[in-house]
Amino acid sequence: STVGLVNGVFAASYTVRSGENKTSHKCLGLSELPTWEPVSEEQLPPPSTVPLDLVDKLERLALVDFRTKQGLSCLEKAIRFADQLHVVDTSGVEPMDSVLEDRALYLRSDVVTEGNCADKLLELSKTTVEEYFVAPPGNIPLPKREERTAMLKDSEF
Amino acid sequence: MLIHLHFIPQASLALREGKVSPVDLCRKCLNRIKKTQHLNAYISVTEEQALIQAQEAETRLLKGSPKGLLDGIPFAVKDNFSTQNIKTTCASRMLKDYTPPFNATVVQKLLDQGAVLLGKTNMDEFAMGSGSTDGAFGPVRNPWSYAAPYRENTGLDPNSDWVVTGGSSGGSAAAVASLTSYLALGSDTGGSTRNPGALCGVVALKPTYGLLSRHGLIPLVNSLDVPGIITRSVGDAALVLDVLQGVDVKDSTTILPQSSSAHIPEDVDVSALCVGIPKEYHAPGLSMETVEQWSRVADMFERAGARVELVSLPHTQYSIVCYHVLCCTEVASNMVRFDGLEYGHRSEMDSSTETMYAISRHEGFNDVVRGRILSGNYFLLKQSYEHYFLKAQKVRRLITEDFKHVFNSGVDVLLTPTTLSDATRYSDFTKEDNRTRSSQEDVFTQPVNLAGLSAISIPTALSRRGLPIGLQLIAPALQDKRLLSVAQWIEQRVAFPSISDFEEPIEGSERCLKIREHTVQSYKTYYSGCP
Amino acid sequence: MCGTRPPTALTPRSYLTAPRCCLCLCALQITIRGRKWHKMIVGIIDQCCSVCLCCSSPHKLVGVVGLEIHAQIRSNTKLFSASPVHFSSPPNSLVSFFDASLPGTLPVLNKRCVEAAVMTGLALHCTINRKSLFDRKHYFYADLPAGYQITQQRRPIAVDGVLHYNLMGGQKKNQVVRKSVHIKQIQLEQDSGKSLHDDLRSQTLIDLNRAEGQLRVDANVSVHRPGEPFGVRTEVKNINSARYLARAIDYEIQRQIQVLERGGTVQNETRAYDSKWDQSCYFAGSRFMPEPNLPPLMVYDDQASLPPGLDLCQAVVVQEIRDTLPELPSVTRDRLVHTYNILPEHSFILVNEDGLVEYFEAVMGQTKMNARKVIGWVTNELLGQLKQRDQSLSQSPISSSVLAELLELQENGHISSSVAKQVFQEMWGSPGKRARAIIEEKDMGLVNDTEKLHRICQKIVDSHPEEVNAIRNGNKKVLNKLMGLVQKETKGRADPVLVRDILKDKTS
Repeated sequence: STVGLVNGVFAASYTVRSGENKTSHKCLGLSELPTWEPVSEEQLPPPSTVPLDLVDKLERLALVDFRTKQGLSCLEKAIRFADQLHVVDTSGVEPMDSVLEDRALYLRSDVVTEGNCADKLLELSKTTVEEYFVAPPGNIPLPKREERTAMLKDSEF
Repeated sequence: MLIHLHFIPQASLALREGKVSPVDLCRKCLNRIKKTQHLNAYISVTEEQALIQAQEAETRLLKGSPKGLLDGIPFAVKDNFSTQNIKTTCASRMLKDYTPPFNATVVQKLLDQGAVLLGKTNMDEFAMGSGSTDGAFGPVRNPWSYAAPYRENTGLDPNSDWVVTGGSSGGSAAAVASLTSYLALGSDTGGSTRNPGALCGVVALKPTYGLLSRHGLIPLVNSLDVPGIITRSVGDAALVLDVLQGVDVKDSTTILPQSSSAHIPEDVDVSALCVGIPKEYHAPGLSMETVEQWSRVADMFERAGARVELVSLPHTQYSIVCYHVLCCTEVASNMVRFDGLEYGHRSEMDSSTETMYAISRHEGFNDVVRGRILSGNYFLLKQSYEHYFLKAQKVRRLITEDFKHVFNSGVDVLLTPTTLSDATRYSDFTKEDNRTRSSQEDVFTQPVNLAGLSAISIPTALSRRGLPIGLQLIAPALQDKRLLSVAQWIEQRVAFPSISDFEEPIEGSERCLKIREHTVQSYKTYYSGCP
Repeated sequence: MCGTRPPTALTPRSYLTAPRCCLCLCALQITIRGRKWHKMIVGIIDQCCSVCLCCSSPHKLVGVVGLEIHAQIRSNTKLFSASPVHFSSPPNSLVSFFDASLPGTLPVLNKRCVEAAVMTGLALHCTINRKSLFDRKHYFYADLPAGYQITQQRRPIAVDGVLHYNLMGGQKKNQVVRKSVHIKQIQLEQDSGKSLHDDLRSQTLIDLNRAEGQLRVDANVSVHRPGEPFGVRTEVKNINSARYLARAIDYEIQRQIQVLERGGTVQNETRAYDSKWDQSCYFAGSRFMPEPNLPPLMVYDDQASLPPGLDLCQAVVVQEIRDTLPELPSVTRDRLVHTYNILPEHSFILVNEDGLVEYFEAVMGQTKMNARKVIGWVTNELLGQLKQRDQSLSQSPISSSVLAELLELQENGHISSSVAKQVFQEMWGSPGKRARAIIEEKDMGLVNDTEKLHRICQKIVDSHPEEVNAIRNGNKKVLNKLMGLVQKETKGRADPVLVRDILKDKTS
């Protein structure tokens, strides 16, 4: 069949091709070995643990919850992964904010070209009152962690 | 499918010559989207608006006054680009009903050229991920899972053993690879455009940081994000880059391009070129097949007279760690605004502002997003700021210096793999958590973002499993035009097949003949590059 | 929290202590968003220092206070978006997509604000940083939609300045005490929206047009024992008036002292001052991060240091701004004292009222009257009338030339000083009427008619034999009483010099 022929052509050509590849480029060598190894545990400083009060603090700062023990272990793994940075010698190196550090910031002239779109903006919000966005009462601190966990169980998802 | 109209200049010519109408072309793409729904590449399909835009293009073409080469050409956009009055969800429950009142600058530019928006493509939630598997609307399937090579070489059933597209711009890559769209916009923070580009066998360009405006792109990491361009040929990518590049007063990080990139030379003389092979990119986990492709293309260069050299980027292995810290910290900051107050999901539980915020965010964000926010907040704590955040910023400088050093020593472009291997089966991919996967998959791509350089992934061959393998070229900042020229040189010589070559013929024998003719032609081109 | 800044960053240059004071005003950090800051800052410091002077503490722990003053810049558009700045507009009508923090929107810096910041830096004798950077300061508050504020913590546009001001000090609080305070830095910063608390429906209404109020203050407070290093500081935000400022600082110092005395430690945190509840409560620790969407802000010393090819509309040149600076208050004051030989305290009064210096100098240019007398007129009569009616100088019905005319009439002996004051009041009530007209109308001119005066003096002398005897016996002061009686007879219109001579003559 035509299709078989198409496949046949390609399959055949590929086999021929890969045969040729056995003589790899001299830069890469024949070896399959990678040129570096992942950082081993011994090279790293002792792992940091995240105590419960820090968990609570992070949840308050981020206004995001860990949800389960798995969430906490994910954080600890993420920190462990980041610990590899300490193997690198950065003495005398300046931190880099962005690749645009040598550029000058664009200055806009003081002319009105935006605004006056209250209706478009208010449309986007679930809760508005006349022309205001609405927030619940503020400055009431988050409840304690146990209460929060209970609240989350009751929530939509 | 209109095989002979795979590429933008051909399609554009056909439109201008009246051989096909924009409305027809649009309908064909929309039908194909319906046919490939199992791929889940699109979150929203804007059928009505697309047809209206196509109609307008038609009117212009009939008058003989098209806006440009892109007039009437259908395109798709990743769902983290703001599109006016069209839902922009970032594949998150948090924004599932968010409808921006404005277009992202790059979207606007395409619309201004008369291009026709088909819809918003699927992705990992808030662009966090490298598989396009962690979005609120389900994973994206790699179209090559359903093509003959994969099925026949592995004997697997794509419906249960489909492979991932890569991510996070998987929907965009799948849309272009499955021929539903001529071009698609993705975003590239650590490889999110190049990764799926390689796994889906399409061209994926990450331009120099600052060349394309980010106004309207919902950010992941502001200092690394770049809108990415996905097309089926390097020539198409150059065309789109030319339309999109340029200073935008609404984005203070945009810079002036050096030149127009619309026309890259048909045949580049590589004898004056120096190609660098960074030895550290032979990383743990790199598949043998990818090494073979890497050698193959390096060989091609050398045979054509280019200088091919082994170079070193010593801090490569730490780049992914640096990226991880900087990514989490910026995410922690960028995600703070999602509180349900002015837009987005808002919880019913609102005893206090803070409670409302916390629960809305719990309900709206998936585990991956929440995890990165918490990690980022940890790294920004006073006790960790210097130890992690500043340290990562210092390592970033070292990585940037590595590239500078190599490019200053006479190397014009670097040739590297894009991914470790061809696409993984979804069932295997999900065995590891998102962060672990990302740290593996992004290893070759994120250093480019840290240094703000320009890079492109081009497909070179199918693997033994019948899945695409891509290679990456990296050039210094603002050398996008040269990058594209060199990429095109490779493209002309590797003769990567089109997915349509493996499709069941749908209409009559004339079509089959066309397939065969095209295939034979490709076959000939393919071999022309060999000794 | 700021990771790159040590907790005790305040460096006192000017250490103010009054005998029973437990507050030391160390440093000012001025965040520029705006307007007529100078007068108001002085007002705030004054308040703060008067608190200083009245509170006493038996504890050895003393408070250390730094003030962060937020002043709004007078510009057409906002700092980072091109939406307008007016006050009292319909809610959310002046808000752009960026102001509402729609995702994907980016900040674009307003050149006018940079110029204003440089001008302020120059006025406060700061060093202008050629290159300055922007940061994000994170905290949750309903009227801060992005969850962070763009500011300039690490490397602001201006640093290390000084503000000279005065206190009324001394025993009777009538002596001018010159003070100066170190200005740590001046930074450009985003403003927040407005929240209106609706307690009835238990909700808060958010209006993202910018917050009104020309000046707002945050206080950084810590306690320590003198001689020991500074303690951990907390920031108290959201203080809306100078009145609450003293109370908030007071509360926070007491709170910290109590925490320490209980054996606890003070947390480095940001507290919101809720004037309603009169207590501060912890609401979030703020974290800093560089702002990735804004490359460094560059300003240039002079034309010569502009890089080639730079578009001139992109250039903020410090020298050019320096050239457009109006005369600085301290310079004006010194000039006034020097030129007119008035007292320093008078110069402060003149400078602190908008337009009064120009008014005073205009009057001085049109009359021979002694400067100190003119001062008396301007500060007592003119300002008195204005304050009574809560009006500003621009609303005065009496212009400088009209006043000068009146003063000339007095100088020329046409009217006595008490009559002049009456005329002044008449003119105020009937704007447009000139002094001469009123004098004639009410027949208030000085009586110079010697014969008439002799007659009146004679009458007084004749009717007060005791007083005349006292004068003849050497008590000259009694003459004043007789003069007063003569003036009463003449309704204050007698030429005092003439009257004195006649009386002396008659009583000798």
